[in-house]
Amino acid sequence: MIGTHRTQVVLVLGVLASLELVLSTTVQAIPSFARQTNLPCNACHTVFPELTPFGRMFKLGGYVMSKSGKAYEFPLPLAGMLQASHTTAKGLTSGVAPFDSANRATDRLALPQQASLFFGGRIYDQLGAFVQGTYDGASNHLVLDMTDIRYADNTLLWNKNLIYGVTLNNGPTVQDVWNAIPAWGFPFSSSSVAPTPAAAAKIDGGLDQQVGGIGAYVFWNNAVYLGGAVYRTARNGITEPLGAGTVTEDVVDGVAPYWRLALEHRWKNHFFTLGTYGMQADIFPSGERSGPTDRFTDIAFDAQYQFMGTIEPEDPPEHEKPGGENKPKAGKHIITAHATWIHESQDRKANVLLGNTANRSDSLRSFKLDLNYYYRSHVGDIGGSIGCFSTTGTTDHLLYPAGPLDGSRTGSPESSGYILGAEYRPWEKTKISLQYIVYDRFNGARSNYDGAGRNASDNRTLYAVLWLMF
Amino acid sequence: MAASLDAAGHDKGRTLYRAKCQFCHGIRGDGKGPAAESLLEHPVDFTDSKFWKDDVTKKIYETITHGKEMMPAFDLTPDDIAAITSYISHTFKNAPQDDKPGRVGQ
Repeated sequence: MIGTHRTQVVLVLGVLASLELVLSTTVQAIPSFARQTNLPCNACHTVFPELTPFGRMFKLGGYVMSKSGKAYEFPLPLAGMLQASHTTAKGLTSGVAPFDSANRATDRLALPQQASLFFGGRIYDQLGAFVQGTYDGASNHLVLDMTDIRYADNTLLWNKNLIYGVTLNNGPTVQDVWNAIPAWGFPFSSSSVAPTPAAAAKIDGGLDQQVGGIGAYVFWNNAVYLGGAVYRTARNGITEPLGAGTVTEDVVDGVAPYWRLALEHRWKNHFFTLGTYGMQADIFPSGERSGPTDRFTDIAFDAQYQFMGTIEPEDPPEHEKPGGENKPKAGKHIITAHATWIHESQDRKANVLLGNTANRSDSLRSFKLDLNYYYRSHVGDIGGSIGCFSTTGTTDHLLYPAGPLDGSRTGSPESSGYILGAEYRPWEKTKISLQYIVYDRFNGARSNYDGAGRNASDNRTLYAVLWLMF
Repeated sequence: MAASLDAAGHDKGRTLYRAKCQFCHGIRGDGKGPAAESLLEHPVDFTDSKFWKDDVTKKIYETITHGKEMMPAFDLTPDDIAAITSYISHTFKNAPQDDKPGRVGQ
């Protein structure tokens, strides 16, 4: 049975890879950003989705940079993405992906894990958008995924460049351009069926696609970024479409303010960023729409280092090589490191009254650090990454109860571990990733963490994913 | 492509420059637009007298049409390119120069 299944997988992946080969050699005009700008993917991405300095500028500029002399794009800037993955771990959750509905506990194919259609590019003049509609293979649902619609322009302020803009998006940090922050942070893809720790800060994906927000930002002198936004639950009104397809688990009372400050500095081809971001949200207890709320206050700091390589002096210009195309110069060795630390204060005045938490005040602290390296070789981009993560916080036996697989015997949210990754981008719009996650602690303990005899080491996960962009 | 400029041509050139060129080449045409700092090599400085040597009109036309190094090729009509050429010529050619190294024209 498994042998037959693997044969099917190999066959399907082979067909997809062949299709991608054909597409990559005959259709230079996709994905949509590349089509719009006439630039290769690696002008904006180290390896997608991580952004280069120029990619950050493209996004801050409103996704509107275009080769066209018209004020709009025709044909529409559409693109697609298909992710197929395979997860190996103990105790996988059930999946309902069309090609893998079997409920096996130790290895699972997600085909697709995710299939997305994007509108990515200029809408009109200085108005552009990144809109992702996704079919989630694990939940068998269509959702409006990452969405960021923005108007941006640039001018001079105190004789220095100023980019300014407004953004309508569906999650705190979705609008951000640095990859240390949660929405676009490491790891860039994760298994949808592997066990994951119970606790995470609200700003770390807790409100994604459940809210709609409007914000403004400025980036002055290529050095100072300041932004802010307010979010409301996307259940009605003008923000309702931003939550399309997503089940609202957390209803925000009023609006949740979000803020962001980042300082960037370039030294030669090294780019350094230090930043801070945060959010405060008053959230009703599950199932409630009125009455007392819990207040979550997130304060976070982040840092990023990026080395974009050096242009080899012995390399002749591309357009002078025989048969050479007019490709932009780029370094061959790319290094990026990210770090973020989030502190969340939880004033659970509502849930403590309902008996859902033992403490009136809880807290969470999470830390993530990762380093990746890519080499742009003549057979594609090859690279790897290493990262570590840690979550600590207040012990609360009601908030983190014992239970098989995802419970906590100790009532503690503490989890920590390491992630090793290997990546290969053989063609411009194809990426193959292998990821290995090791847990030191999981939901508060190394051994018997769930009270049912499961150890943190049992959650080691091997995850392979194929990304196709077209 | 003549570099003479009437009011309509100037407006068209300015509009196109703002939309297509300014993000990298800058409001002052000095190659210090917002995106310039993100590139491994800086964009051309139109205020540099060295840029205006030789057949500039042809150089600009070919660069916009075919792209060069970090700059992609653009789908602009000859009239559009002529308007941009006239605009940058009249606006930046004799502008005061900011003599920082590494910003020379190509």
